[in-house]
Parts: sequence; C-alpha cells; structure tokens
Amino acid sequence: MSRSLVRHLILKDFQMHRTSIVFSIVAGVTGLAILQLKGLPGLLGIIGFFTTLIVLGSMIPNTSILNERKGRNLAFLMSLPISMAEYTTAKVLAALGMFMIPWLVLVGTALSLILGRSDIPHGIIPVTLILVTAPVVGFCVMIAVALVAETEAWVMTATIAVNVAYSFCWVLIVSNAELRGGLGSPTPIWNPTALTVLGSEFAAIAVILAITFYLQSRKKDFV
Amino acid sequence: MTDLAIKLESVTKRYRYFTLDNIDLDVPAGEIMGLIGPNGAGKSTTIRILLGLVHQDSGNVRVLGHRMPAEQIEAKWNIGFASEDMRLYDAMTLGWHMNFMRSLYPKWDEKYAQLLLKRFCLNAEQKIKGLSHGQRVKSMLLLVLARCPRLLVLDEPTTGLDPVARHEILKELTAVMNDEGRSILFSSHNTQDVEQISDRITFIDRGRIIDSMDKETYLDRWRRLRLEVPAGIELHALPGIIDIRQDGRLAVATSNDFVPDLANAYENTGARVQSIENMTLEEIFVANVERSREEVEA
Repeated sequence: MSRSLVRHLILKDFQMHRTSIVFSIVAGVTGLAILQLKGLPGLLGIIGFFTTLIVLGSMIPNTSILNERKGRNLAFLMSLPISMAEYTTAKVLAALGMFMIPWLVLVGTALSLILGRSDIPHGIIPVTLILVTAPVVGFCVMIAVALVAETEAWVMTATIAVNVAYSFCWVLIVSNAELRGGLGSPTPIWNPTALTVLGSEFAAIAVILAITFYLQSRKKDFV
Repeated sequence: MTDLAIKLESVTKRYRYFTLDNIDLDVPAGEIMGLIGPNGAGKSTTIRILLGLVHQDSGNVRVLGHRMPAEQIEAKWNIGFASEDMRLYDAMTLGWHMNFMRSLYPKWDEKYAQLLLKRFCLNAEQKIKGLSHGQRVKSMLLLVLARCPRLLVLDEPTTGLDPVARHEILKELTAVMNDEGRSILFSSHNTQDVEQISDRITFIDRGRIIDSMDKETYLDRWRRLRLEVPAGIELHALPGIIDIRQDGRLAVATSNDFVPDLANAYENTGARVQSIENMTLEEIFVANVERSREEVEA
C-alpha cells in the first residue's frame, strides 16, 4: 500500500473540508457555552451540542464521499496510482479524522466542564459518554453506506434511519434503571450495564468499518 | 517482438443490458490508436478495464507490461487518463490541482506545466467552477501531460469542444508523440479528430471490435464505386465488395479491399464505372458498422 498517496488523499480531504471542521467546533463549543445557562437556554445548549455532532456525522460522508461521486471527481481520483483498497482506506481515515477531531474537542470540553463544576454530579459521565459515542456509530454507518451503496437515495435512507435510531437510543438509556440510577452520584459509576452499552458501541464501530472494507474489496466496478 | 503499450486478450465484461464481448486489442508502444465507436459501443468500458477501474469477467489485460487489474498501481504511475465525464474539484483552483499533482508525481514537469498554462490560456488562480467546458478539458490535459506519462488514455476528450480548442488539444497531443516511447489510446465518436492524429484505428460497435488496422490501410483499401448498369442486369457483390445497392440503372458498390481489377471485373459484367471515390474515415466507419450489424443480424 502506498502510504504516501493515502496520506496525500487524507490531507486533500482535510484541506477541502477545513471550514466545516472549524465551523462544527465553533457551533459545538457555542452549544456548550449556552449549556452553562440555567433553564431553557441550557436545554437548547444540550440540543445544539448534540445537533452539531449529528449534523457533522451526516455531512462529512455526503460532502467527502457522495459529492465526489456525484461531482464525477471519483474517476479523477481513481486515475491516480491507487487501488480501491487505498481509496477506501484514505476515505475512511479522512472522514474519521474530520469527524473525530471536532468530536474529541467537543467531548473533551464537555467532560472538562462537568469535571470542573462541583454543582454537576460526576455520575452523568458514563451516560454522557454513551450518548456522545452514539453519533460516532451513526457516522460510521453513514460512511459505510456512502462508500458501499454510492447513491444519494441510500445515504438519505441511512440518514433518516440513523436519526431515528438516536431517538430510540436516548429513550432506552433514560428508561434504563441501572444507567439512570447513577446519574446523581458524585462520582462516575461504571456498572456492567454502562460498560456493556459503551463496549457495544465500540464493537459496532469496529464491525461496521470491517464490513465496509470487506464489501469494498468485493467490488468490481469503481467508476 | 514489438513492445506493446496495451494488450487485451479475449476480454469479456457482462452487464445486464450490455456485454463487452471477447475483445482483443494491441496498441504498440509509440503509436496513437484511435478507438472509434458509436455511443454505447463499449469504448468507455474498454478504457475503464484497461485502467483497472472496472474488472473484466474473463480475459487478460496488460498495460505497460503490468497485469490489470492486479498491478494497476504500478501501471497507473505511467498512465495519464482524461475522460469527457471526469471532473476536477469545482471549489478548488487549477493551481491547487497542480500542487496536488506535483506532490504526488515525482516526474511532474513544472516547466512544461507552466508552458501548457500559457499555451492553453489558462489561469492557475481561477476556480474550476468558473471555467468553460473547453478550459476544463484543457486543465485536465495539463494535469495529465505535465506528469509525463508513458501512456495517455483519453476517453472522448474533444467532445463538446469548439474547433479552436479541439485544434489546440490535438496539436498538443501530436507534439507529445515527439517522444517516441509514448503511446496514446484516443477514443471518440468524432472520426475527424481520430483521423487527424491516429496511426492505427479500431472500430468498436455493440461491445465487439469490428475492425482494426492502420489508418493509411483503411484509406487505401476502402473505395466507393458508382456504376451505371444496363437495363435488365442485376449486379452482385464481387470479392472485396462488402455492400452493393442498386436503384434501377445506378448502383453503388463499397469495397473494403479495393484493387483496380475490381473496376475491370464490373466492366466485364456490362456495367460502366462512372467514378471510383475515396472514402472518408467517417464513411468507412459507418459502412463498417452497418456491415457488422447486418452480419450479426443475419
């Protein structure tokens, strides 16, 4: 595998989408800043924070993968000395990077805010991590669909499905007594349920990405 | 043995409504091969197979000595590909694309790139979305040519261009061939463009190669004979005649292997040869396609 070429392709994607990355960080941090306010503005801050993660998660696969196909740039890319495996690697790594950088900044900021304030129970940390990892899973689903299915219709279907899944995820977490029980604790409670849910999310990410590479390797027509 | 830039052997690719059927194609190194076919003939599929972008169902493909698609990465370092339906990034400038290619290709020739920039009247600062179709094609060719590939594969590069832009591009392609080691595969349905620059020509129709030989041989062998036929005589196709159409006392015979004796042979049947006309490549192409379709349907 030509690592140099893969690196160049990743850098190209970062260069082309840097505005989106910066904008999402600004939007997310603004949401976190509003979250500091009490009452309705605080709730809007939470919504703004999660909306940023969810929108970023569906925007990157669209702009960096699907638009390249729709804009007929894929033939240009595939005329370069790369294989489909390298293209897939570059796309997955670039997309993950473009999503995970804002995600890490925002989640890091959110955790710092929780840890830095004594009036917020640290018991919300496990549930917070479960909730913020869900958009990463959804993002990986979107990457997989954009790369493998390659059509706008499938990506739109995946976007709707993923967004509906978030709502179920919220309801399941909030209604789970074990997860809910530790929310008011002054320290994080990593009970088996919290660890299982978080572990399942990471496992889902690994499985989705593995399936993506497998399906891509079976393709015979790329352009 | 002649070095081959491209060798396709019994290559087949099946789609639901189209089959590229048992394609054999040789492009010797240092030659320009024109691939002519109507829309949907299989030109682009053939080209995509030899670039490794589409995998053949069966058959062997070698490009610059590399097996395709297995060794596509090694091969593509030395292939410059531009296609009518390929696009650069609209939001980025031509200069950005030049920097991108320079960073990838160690053989990138910046002096040549700057020369082409001037020759094609392009502005590196301009975003691709602001360029005309002709400027986009020229930009694409600049990016392909400045990386100094041994093989240029051009899929309908002149489609939709005005005559001046077409002339500029064809002139540049001819200049590229001053380097004898280079080869070009040039596909088009515009026979004039292909005729202008090609050494060899291959006709493709409905997924099959129907004829392939050097351009001069085509032009030498193909003739149209206009004949005046006495009343009551019906002319038949003689050897070397692929099509004969008679309307009353006038007949037109098309030969794909003309020799002067052919005219004498018709004179001997009682017909009078009014004229023997050279055929243009377009006429040869159309006659070839019609003959091929009649053979398939027969």
